[in-house]
Amino acid sequence: MKRRTWKQTAAVAAATVMTLSMAGCGGSGGEEQAKSEDGKTIVKFSFDQGVGEPTQKIVDKFNESQDKIQVETVILPQDANAVHDDFVNKLASGDTSVDVMGLDVVYIAEFASAGWLADLSEYVDSDMTDAMIEGTVEAATYDGKLVAAPWFTNSSVMFYRKDVLEELKADVPTTWDGWMELADKAVGINGVEYGADFQAAQSEALVTNWVEYVWGNGGDILDEDGKPVINSSENIEATEIMKKLVDEYAPEGVTTYTETESEQVFKEGKCLFIRDWSGFWSSGQGEDSKVTGMIGATSLPTGPSGTKSHTCLGGLDLVVNNNISDEQKAAAGEFIKFMVSEETQKEMTLISSQPPVIKSVYTDAEILEEIPFYEEFYGIIQDGKSRPKSPQYAKVSDAIQRNVHQALTGEAAVKDALDTLQAEVEELDAE
Amino acid sequence: MAGKKRGGTLEKTESRDAWIMMFPAIIVLLVIAVYPILRTVWLSLHEMVLTNPGSGYPFIGLKNYGAIVQDERAITAIVFTLKFTLATVSMELLLGFTAALIMNKAFKGKGLVRAAILIPWAIPTSVSAMMWKFIYNDQYGLFNDVLSRIGVIDKYQAWLSTADGSFMALVITDIWKTAPYMALLILAGLQMVPEELYEAAKIDGANIFQRFLYVTLPTVKTTVLVALLFRTLDAFRVFDLISVMTGGANGTESVSVYAYNHLMKFLDFGYGSAMAVMIFVVVFLISLLYMRALGDQITDL
Repeated sequence: MKRRTWKQTAAVAAATVMTLSMAGCGGSGGEEQAKSEDGKTIVKFSFDQGVGEPTQKIVDKFNESQDKIQVETVILPQDANAVHDDFVNKLASGDTSVDVMGLDVVYIAEFASAGWLADLSEYVDSDMTDAMIEGTVEAATYDGKLVAAPWFTNSSVMFYRKDVLEELKADVPTTWDGWMELADKAVGINGVEYGADFQAAQSEALVTNWVEYVWGNGGDILDEDGKPVINSSENIEATEIMKKLVDEYAPEGVTTYTETESEQVFKEGKCLFIRDWSGFWSSGQGEDSKVTGMIGATSLPTGPSGTKSHTCLGGLDLVVNNNISDEQKAAAGEFIKFMVSEETQKEMTLISSQPPVIKSVYTDAEILEEIPFYEEFYGIIQDGKSRPKSPQYAKVSDAIQRNVHQALTGEAAVKDALDTLQAEVEELDAE
Repeated sequence: MAGKKRGGTLEKTESRDAWIMMFPAIIVLLVIAVYPILRTVWLSLHEMVLTNPGSGYPFIGLKNYGAIVQDERAITAIVFTLKFTLATVSMELLLGFTAALIMNKAFKGKGLVRAAILIPWAIPTSVSAMMWKFIYNDQYGLFNDVLSRIGVIDKYQAWLSTADGSFMALVITDIWKTAPYMALLILAGLQMVPEELYEAAKIDGANIFQRFLYVTLPTVKTTVLVALLFRTLDAFRVFDLISVMTGGANGTESVSVYAYNHLMKFLDFGYGSAMAVMIFVVVFLISLLYMRALGDQITDL
């Protein structure tokens, strides 16, 4: 009996061994193969599949035009977390198997503070950054250095049902109150069941939604000195508006929705409006949509204490691995210059419908003919703001996600949730 | 002469050969299992936040472990995980045992049923979690459709938007996926029970419950223990199911999800590693207690 117990113990030990393997990973440095057979410098470019096809086309074009540099693509799955984890594993272990990466803007500060990103000021000069939308350049700067090159941006838009507004002979509201008033009348018209639709699952999507309510009501997350000002009266009011939408206007499951779920309900024709990323203009009017041709777009509404709405900027930046040799960095810099040039940006916009970072592309006649919606969109995106920039952004975001989600689901009162959030972010500052 | 000498140490030679033959396996185990564990334990004794390389990643002893004890969120995660483990494993045992008893009877199409019952287990967890997330959807979900058809609910609900709903949804999904595994393990044990034992018991006048208690149970005890052990370990480490279905919202953050957040989201390798080591220790202890308690109980019968 005793011996068997010992054996069982050993079995437990052997089985539990597996539980630990998750932390112990670490990539080994891939071999740097800087030259191709015909003597070209090879630049490895890694990004996610979401922009895979158009990007590959652009890269092919670059390779054709080049006799010194050959760009090879490493395409990752379309999952922001997986891409982040892949880059972290590589960069933290000093890996040099990748030179240029397409990185989500929210991770710039985190990666820069870890010392993983090369300074790009040398390659992307002020003439180039002046041509870009200010918000995107600001988000790519850390500690006064340009550590990333804005590649394409993204911002949210209020998409609404033109047909329903026409039916009601209503003007497009500019405030949340106005939208709620309209929603009260709109339910039942042309299949509309819900007055509102957005993303409130406990995820990064919730953060991007929530900051827009806050900014549109004159509030902010951090003040000018970087101190958290989360439980301000403006922010409490803004969060209450959002909660009211969750409780009374949005689909029951909105607190479990990220982009996909919310878009599905809107495409079924069940919602008066959806707050979504600009790309929904085309993806929301495809063959699988019941609202094709019925969508209008406008800027986000404001709250009672706000005067101007600001969309939350997203998008991808190009960053260079700081571990690679100077020669590699120079080649990567050349490639980045090509990627953010006006000509490439215009082409990328035409084939990918991703919003460019170069201002002049928005007013280009050819682009406007293809995507007429950019005329309104240009104004929206110029007023865009970035989420708080902090090396601890992941923790800030996590705190926002948990506390705001609790407020929206009613697990906590709005004021209590924001007080807790304020305290948690203050504590992060103190660390 | 020499042969005689070697012959005298046959046992020694045999044991030496055994070591030589095991050598490759031992090396592999050292590299893929022992090294990562030791490394994790080592990391857990350091302050190591990757976004703060300026700190120099100093050795801080057991401070990370002290922090876990004071971390309310960690405690909540541990409590949730224990609740989840208890709920899923007990239900799986019950359902798995029942299914195994049924499958152990000879009936037409037995082979087909045995193969079919394994399907949920064969689907990767993240895929079945996506599937179930859609089943619980508040607009199109099958779960709502079925419940409203049989009249349990009169309005579609967003099951994953409340704490109770999320817990129930996760438990159901986990049971759906792993009860078949339990059933098959137990079935294998049931098939080792010799038919003569039942016959003898019948002759002695034992009814069906007595036959189950005194013949079936003692014989499959070991198999059940192994099945329970595997499931307890698995349930306690639950990660992908939760990550996909709720992302840890509504109080469904398991210890693995929390440890992952620290490691990969916050890049806090010190604290995250300490969490991972804690999971290791807790799982180890639970399994020991579990097996000892259950083992004695069944022996006493």
